[in-house]
Amino acid sequence: MTYPDNQIAPENDLIKGCIDGDPQMQRLLYERFASKMYGVCVRYAENTEDANDVMQEGFIKVYRNISKFRGEGSFEGWIRRIFIHTAIEHYRKKIKLFHVTEISENTIEDDRLNALDSLAAKDILKIVNELSPGYKAVFNMHVIEGYSHKEIAEILGITEGTSKSQLARAKAVLKKIIEVRSIKIN
Amino acid sequence: MQNFKEKLFNYETPPPEEIWHHIAGEINNENVVKMRGHKKNKFVFYTVAAAASVVIIFLGSVFLKKNSTPKYSYQNKLDQQNLLLAQETKDSVQLNQLILESIINNPKEKKEIVSQEPDDNIKSKTYLTVADPEGQPVKISPKVATLIISADNGYPPKPIWCKEIRRWQNIMLNSTISPTSANFADLVQLAANKQIMNKD
Repeated sequence: MTYPDNQIAPENDLIKGCIDGDPQMQRLLYERFASKMYGVCVRYAENTEDANDVMQEGFIKVYRNISKFRGEGSFEGWIRRIFIHTAIEHYRKKIKLFHVTEISENTIEDDRLNALDSLAAKDILKIVNELSPGYKAVFNMHVIEGYSHKEIAEILGITEGTSKSQLARAKAVLKKIIEVRSIKIN
Repeated sequence: MQNFKEKLFNYETPPPEEIWHHIAGEINNENVVKMRGHKKNKFVFYTVAAAASVVIIFLGSVFLKKNSTPKYSYQNKLDQQNLLLAQETKDSVQLNQLILESIINNPKEKKEIVSQEPDDNIKSKTYLTVADPEGQPVKISPKVATLIISADNGYPPKPIWCKEIRRWQNIMLNSTISPTSANFADLVQLAANKQIMNKD
């Protein structure tokens, strides 16, 4: 099956082609999702080199396991979960999850974080990347991806309480950064 | 306007071109290994299937041979032999009966019946060769044949001969001589047995 450069291959054809090991379809799949998934890698990675490793490892996992995709939910969501899990596995050894005094999540007002809305995505990313890997992982998973603390606890191998504490600490750190940089609240 | 969560969630940035080369290289290697493994698996599969077929055919033929040979040859032979023996015995008894009846009814033809034997000689004219219940040839005189028939309840009783036969039976029962089908005494015994059976 061949597709001209100006024609978009349907998702089902991409999946089938990749299952059959068609190199053209593998390339097309990569081109379609590479930028989005690299964005995920950059959010979780500590530096560019690590982001590249996660990117490579994640796509290889996608190609190897694509036959297991059963069409439940979006294909992009399925790929995204693979990348998040790959990033977490990659950093599992590096992430030091210090238990902090449990602070209620609500004590950190999200209004302070809303100051980030005025910034461009790239600038927000720079600020978030200042968090330690542990805080960043929990922040990304809960605030950006929408995972529950229970899910985070299972994926990271921690308790729900620890996940909440990590998130509270991450938000506190971000608040300080926003204050230091004098970012105005909308 | 998107909030910071949406901005981060939808954040896209192009990866370095070299990443695809690494991925493609790794996938191609896997495909080659996969293809080789697939070919090897196919070869092994067909080899095993062929070997299994040969074994099944061989075992099947052995099994059929074991079951069919005795069933259709040995067993059939036995059955046929038994049938032939039974038929021969039946024929023999019927023939004897016919001969004896014909002797009794037509005493004048005794000689003619006897003369039907191929090795005709003087002795054979005075004796009848009949088959006993076991199919063994026995020579008896026509008179004795009449006695035997007389002992049978199917014919009109002849009290004198019956009395005489009973006397012989008593002699045989009290004697230590074992009766055989080759002598007259045996025939008397057989006739007596037949009589007893008919009474029962």
